[in-house]
Amino acid sequence: MASRFSGALQLTDLDDFITPSQECIKPVKIERTKTKTGAKIKIGEDGYFDVSNGKEQKLQKVEITLADCLACSGCITSAESVLVTKQSQEELLRVFSERKYTDNNGVTNDVRLIVISLSPQPTLSLAARYKLTPKEATDKLAGYFKSLGADLVLDMTIAEDFSLLEAQQEFLQRFQNQLHDPKSKNLPMLASSCPGWVCYAEKTHGNFILPYISSTKSPQQIMGSLVKQYLSKCREQNPSEIYHVTFMPCYDKKLEASREDFYSEILQCHDVDCVITSIELEQMLENNNKSLRDVPGMELDWPWEALGEGSPLVRRHVGSGSGGYADQVFLYAAEQLFGEGNAQLTYKNLRNPDFREVVLQKDGQDVLRFAIVNGFRNIQNLVQKLKRGKSPYHYVEVMACPSGCLNGGAQIRPVAGESGRELAVQLELMYSELPLAMPGDNKLVRKLYGEWLDGRDSDKAAAMLHTSYHSVEKSDIALNIKW
Amino acid sequence: MIYVTKMPKLDLEQTLTGHKGIVWHVSWHPQGKMFASCGEDKTIKLWSKEGQEWAIKTVLVDGHKRTIRQIEWSPCGNYLASASFDATTAIWDKKSGQFECNATLEGHENEVKGVAWSPSGQLLATCGRDKSVWVWEVAGDDEYECEAVLNVHNQDVKKVAWHPSLDILASASYDNTVKIYKEDPADNDWSCFATLQSHESTVWSLAFDKTGERLATCSDDKTVKIWKEYKPNNQEGVIVADKESVWKCICTLSGFHTRCVYDISWCHNTGLLATACGDDIIRIFKESDDSDPNAPTFELVCTKLDAHSQDVNCVTWNPTGNQEILSCSDDGEIRIWSFSSD
Repeated sequence: MASRFSGALQLTDLDDFITPSQECIKPVKIERTKTKTGAKIKIGEDGYFDVSNGKEQKLQKVEITLADCLACSGCITSAESVLVTKQSQEELLRVFSERKYTDNNGVTNDVRLIVISLSPQPTLSLAARYKLTPKEATDKLAGYFKSLGADLVLDMTIAEDFSLLEAQQEFLQRFQNQLHDPKSKNLPMLASSCPGWVCYAEKTHGNFILPYISSTKSPQQIMGSLVKQYLSKCREQNPSEIYHVTFMPCYDKKLEASREDFYSEILQCHDVDCVITSIELEQMLENNNKSLRDVPGMELDWPWEALGEGSPLVRRHVGSGSGGYADQVFLYAAEQLFGEGNAQLTYKNLRNPDFREVVLQKDGQDVLRFAIVNGFRNIQNLVQKLKRGKSPYHYVEVMACPSGCLNGGAQIRPVAGESGRELAVQLELMYSELPLAMPGDNKLVRKLYGEWLDGRDSDKAAAMLHTSYHSVEKSDIALNIKW
Repeated sequence: MIYVTKMPKLDLEQTLTGHKGIVWHVSWHPQGKMFASCGEDKTIKLWSKEGQEWAIKTVLVDGHKRTIRQIEWSPCGNYLASASFDATTAIWDKKSGQFECNATLEGHENEVKGVAWSPSGQLLATCGRDKSVWVWEVAGDDEYECEAVLNVHNQDVKKVAWHPSLDILASASYDNTVKIYKEDPADNDWSCFATLQSHESTVWSLAFDKTGERLATCSDDKTVKIWKEYKPNNQEGVIVADKESVWKCICTLSGFHTRCVYDISWCHNTGLLATACGDDIIRIFKESDDSDPNAPTFELVCTKLDAHSQDVNCVTWNPTGNQEILSCSDDGEIRIWSFSSD
């Protein structure tokens, strides 16, 4: 079976599916009372037993969590078995059935509020699979999740808008910083919304590349903060009693949700508890012999009523189907830095369609040079350009999957007779027909900056909308060395 | 008049010492008058003849921090690529008058095990312990761009080899399979279009014949296998799917080798196969005169016992077709042999 992670992660051994790598170097701590030297261990049918003390004492099975894997420089395995514990459809269904049980038995204490956040790419994947319009697919997904027991089904436009607004602001800041200190590592600013790329950068290029990566959180994680930190207050609910699920086009998003940076010790919970992908949703439907077509539709929820009216919808942004980072930042920077209020973006393909660049000219000079880099091979070439000091870019939208997020690793595969490229083109067309979101005009975002975040430049805004990255140093312990 | 049939034989021309420790690989310069060697001692040595004797001409040091596993001359003979356990591949040339490392290809997570130039010299393939195969394109002066990262093997990839005239790549792996790749012109991306499954253990090396329609592979399962390409609409009526060629195993040479077969070389002039084996023997196989193209038979025509005192790691025919063979071994020696069959 082929790995479901993006190519970038496969290379770093993240595709050791069934179990953690046999070379796992996590030290095992054995709780034991003082004994003489040596231990006698008996292998029984149901485990290992320490028999040094004369009586059999069952040894603990070592459990490796995803957090262990992410923090380790060893095999970099985050095996499926590790993910399965917290990040699977089985776990999601368990939470739903728990919820049903409490409902049916009139239990009102400790009931979890189940919130589902839909991103556009997997919604389109399902629409294409079941031959529905994006709006129909959205409604039917809302209906399906609610039939399972979800309390709220939301679109993520608000979080996507936050992410784009923060990214464009961060770019201006970095541009100025670079002018003041040309030797600093402010530019090129590299997009950070793709967790496959971020994880690869942390594990293989560490401190060299991390300063370039945008500190702006991805829409998934901003949505996580909004739901756990803001929505919980509106609902007077303890954040740890909210179970927050995001619907995503890629398995790597599960790794992102599991990062310790997105776990709050105080609130005792992750910002996103479970990530469910297009393929998994298709499987859930198929396991119940259901077609999404037959599911009664329901409207998305609008839980922001305290801040004003709005229409919940899955929307697109200007630019690529990966969220439009390059276009949004380019347009804003052209206007803010060079007074070009109506800049045109004409991309030029470089070596292949997944490495494209766009230039803003002013008085015959190239003043801004942006690129979109998709897929692992192109990431390699970008990294090598940076290492040799030959990158001409101010900003690069980097995504680990070829063709970007619409072709994410966990999007539904093409049916027999259909090529992957045809499906990608179809999804791109559907994406271009979605209603357009305009982050700068989003009143809800403006209100949240004030009421939730204490202003745009506050510490709270920084904490809620930005994150940091950590180089994983390679450790040369004996077990690691092979030749 | 009495005709005497002479037995084919392999005569030792010279034994070369100079490397410290294991010699992993030797590579003939395309003109066959010079060769390069590499090994555990992290050096590359270039050898050529002084009068009748082969001698070291140049030693390249400081290119790699760990063992150098393989070296390959580019088809034009101006570049040398070296694959190392330090996770890099170095490209050497002598534009400045002497050999220097002018480009380093980084990207593999850990040990690079194999490297090969495409017939045009425009592409370079590397493979390694991270299970991946990479295709690089020569993009200009000392510039190499990554064209593809292929993650289809489940284990360590031991060796890569190009088709002799087309941009078709094959790789051999610890997962017991061989994979064959080509580029899809629609999006310039590479993909695997055939998996060769039959070996029962690690496939250590592979070599195309001069037509590129046959491939010889050698394995830890002590066998050598010959595979044949059946193109769409082939005369034999072999069914192909998706308009892609299929590769079938048409011959297995078993019972000859007593240990792991580490390397195989297919002479493009004589059609002879040479193998390097863990039993310290070099063997030469010849296809029978009445061999069926779809079920060929090969005869073992020469067995050189104790060709080395330890594992033979590499064996390679001189590309000029003069029946010279180079071999190298764990015993730290390089040997030059002359094959004669009449």
